[in-house]
Amino acid sequence: MTDVHAPQSQPESAAAEDEAARSFSLDQTGTAEGGSGRTTPPPAANAGWLRWGWRQLTSMRTALVLLFLLALGSIPGSVLPQQGSDAGAVQQYYASHPSLAPLLNHLGLFNVFAAPWFAAIYLLLFASLVGCVVPRTFRLVGAARTPPPRAPRNLARLPHSSTYNSALAPDAAVAGAAAILGGQRFRLRRSASDAKDHWVSAEKGYLREVGNLLFHLSLLGVLLSIAAGGLFGYKADKLLVEGQSFSDTVSALDEFHPGRLVSGDDLAPFSVTLNSFTANYIDSGESRGQPSNFDAGVWYTSSPGAKPGTYHIRINDPLSVDSLKVYLIGHGYAPEFKVTGADGKVAYEEATPFIPANTGNFESDGVVKAPDASLGFMGVFEPTVFSANGTLTSIFPAADAPAVSLIGYYGNLGMNNGVPQSVYQLDTSGMTKLSGSPHLLTPGQTWKLPNGKGSITFVGVKQWVSLAITYDPGQVPALVCGILALAGLLLSFFVRRRRVFVRAVPAASGTGSVVTVGGLTRSDASGGFEEEFAELAAEIASAEPGNKSENSGA
Amino acid sequence: MFKAKRRTVVTVTAVAAALLGGALAATLLTSGKTNASDTPGNTVEYQAGQRPLVPNLTGKSLTGASMNLSSYRGKVVVLNFWGSWCSPCRDEAALFAGASQQYASKGVTFLGDDVGDTPANALAFTSSQGITYPSFNDPGYAVVTQISQVVPVHDTPTTVVIDKTGHVVGTIIGAAKYSELTALLRDAGVTQ
Repeated sequence: MTDVHAPQSQPESAAAEDEAARSFSLDQTGTAEGGSGRTTPPPAANAGWLRWGWRQLTSMRTALVLLFLLALGSIPGSVLPQQGSDAGAVQQYYASHPSLAPLLNHLGLFNVFAAPWFAAIYLLLFASLVGCVVPRTFRLVGAARTPPPRAPRNLARLPHSSTYNSALAPDAAVAGAAAILGGQRFRLRRSASDAKDHWVSAEKGYLREVGNLLFHLSLLGVLLSIAAGGLFGYKADKLLVEGQSFSDTVSALDEFHPGRLVSGDDLAPFSVTLNSFTANYIDSGESRGQPSNFDAGVWYTSSPGAKPGTYHIRINDPLSVDSLKVYLIGHGYAPEFKVTGADGKVAYEEATPFIPANTGNFESDGVVKAPDASLGFMGVFEPTVFSANGTLTSIFPAADAPAVSLIGYYGNLGMNNGVPQSVYQLDTSGMTKLSGSPHLLTPGQTWKLPNGKGSITFVGVKQWVSLAITYDPGQVPALVCGILALAGLLLSFFVRRRRVFVRAVPAASGTGSVVTVGGLTRSDASGGFEEEFAELAAEIASAEPGNKSENSGA
Repeated sequence: MFKAKRRTVVTVTAVAAALLGGALAATLLTSGKTNASDTPGNTVEYQAGQRPLVPNLTGKSLTGASMNLSSYRGKVVVLNFWGSWCSPCRDEAALFAGASQQYASKGVTFLGDDVGDTPANALAFTSSQGITYPSFNDPGYAVVTQISQVVPVHDTPTTVVIDKTGHVVGTIIGAAKYSELTALLRDAGVTQ
């Protein structure tokens, strides 16, 4: 006979121990739940205020508010131009919003992720998480060590229950059930051997708390790793032309973004020389002009005087040296020029990096400055030049038919006033144009400048690469902690805390006993406990041959 | 209802107060990252007895000759880090051209370290600025790395004054002024 009924709500008169048996919360260990966000009126004493403030900070509500603020605070970082990533765009914003920009700057909105108010949010969130997690850790450890609660008086009231008649005396019947439950790695608690009623409580699924603990601790680990990366790491950029080398010192770097606790003296003293750079492009079909391969052949030393090594840096294949990584993040062309002045002496001889415009075929802009001959040139470089109706353009990104078109200037380049200048811009305010129209040169050609001002020779073409040097000591720990956090989360999602109680009372007939098995789980969103309980109850019952069992459950 | 409202107000006030406190603390903690040894202007002076010993800097000159710093031991050395591409270096070039002549008879040697440059550009610079003393050809900042083991050379230009025993008297960061240079030379025991 099977009697199926819905789980009943516990009547108000139920015994306190019944409540304890049903409660899976951590409160049963006798400590208050810190994350509940309860707000009690602040006591008057100073220590009381502090305790109240700390409780507020570590409440779940505050953590959520801070998390929300963190997300909200990040918005200006992605909407407004940021000083760290694009200083030029910030200047542009200043030019187009002259009254608004200073106000935004005052609020730190052009450097959001370094702004004190942003730091305040994540530091408070960190404090909130630590304050929440540390006490919780102790409670979880306590909970994991707590034995199961006493068996409730009326097991038939539990969501899952089953009754059978046993030929054994109550204590022997309970002992048999305990052996089966113990065999299935349930944690057990038995009634005293001389007690009148005989029961066993069994509990399983403590891994859920372990998962919970792992998740919280790993979350702290992720935060600490990110903090370590921000404090001790650094990022730098360097543009390097084929044949050039650089040492990792602040003055050699184009951009240097140190962490808060990093100074220029902390840089790893490695050096890198770019031997060659190869970029291959698809030369036919629909994808014509798309890059197919990049390869920067370098040799490097980890410190001055150390044995040099060779490496090929490719996209997603950085050079690892001195626990930092050197990534290839960009490339372009550096036409080589030789400039002579009016006196016939060489005033400039260098491969000059030109910056690609946004056309896809590496049409690039650059300037040549020969201040000692009072000459300056603005140029456009075309790797594969094509002339259409007098307009030059590049039709392929490889340097198959390179040409450079130059406009010459003569006069004061403004480099003697001590104000640093961009190497990619020519200040022509104190200069005069040498010719009306641009002058086109192919490799090996020389332009004799008018009025005997000198000459410029387009010697050849080299390539440059842009390297990003990153040192992030928090990267690997953050990844490990992230994986552990995910594992912990999965454990806490998929493992159920479940309790099974067995109680045996003497049968009315005088011989044998009536055994009731009850089951309870905290959450059964993924289902499955009903079947597990049914199998378990059947196994306990069938341990005694010839028993009939009566199941009930939802 | 009233109680719940009050609770929200209290919580929001607490969070705002904590945020402000945190912001203030963060501002105080992150500002003022200064070097205590910086004197007004952009000179760093080292007290006698605490002057770091410069390693023997070696390299090639702009004309390809071998150069090493230890061959100047016994003389006060003014070592200027520069590049023909650098505007502040052009600004201070006349000062160094003049001072190198003025102090030649007083046992002071001027040397340069031409960084991130090509010899052709650098020689055009020295010839147009009237600089006659030799410079290391240092396109890859190798000499900078060598000296950075004892004194930071983070900017171009930087000038390092080294005494007769090879110890650093002080550095001038950025374009040097005549008064800054003479002050360091005086510290190195050179009288005008």
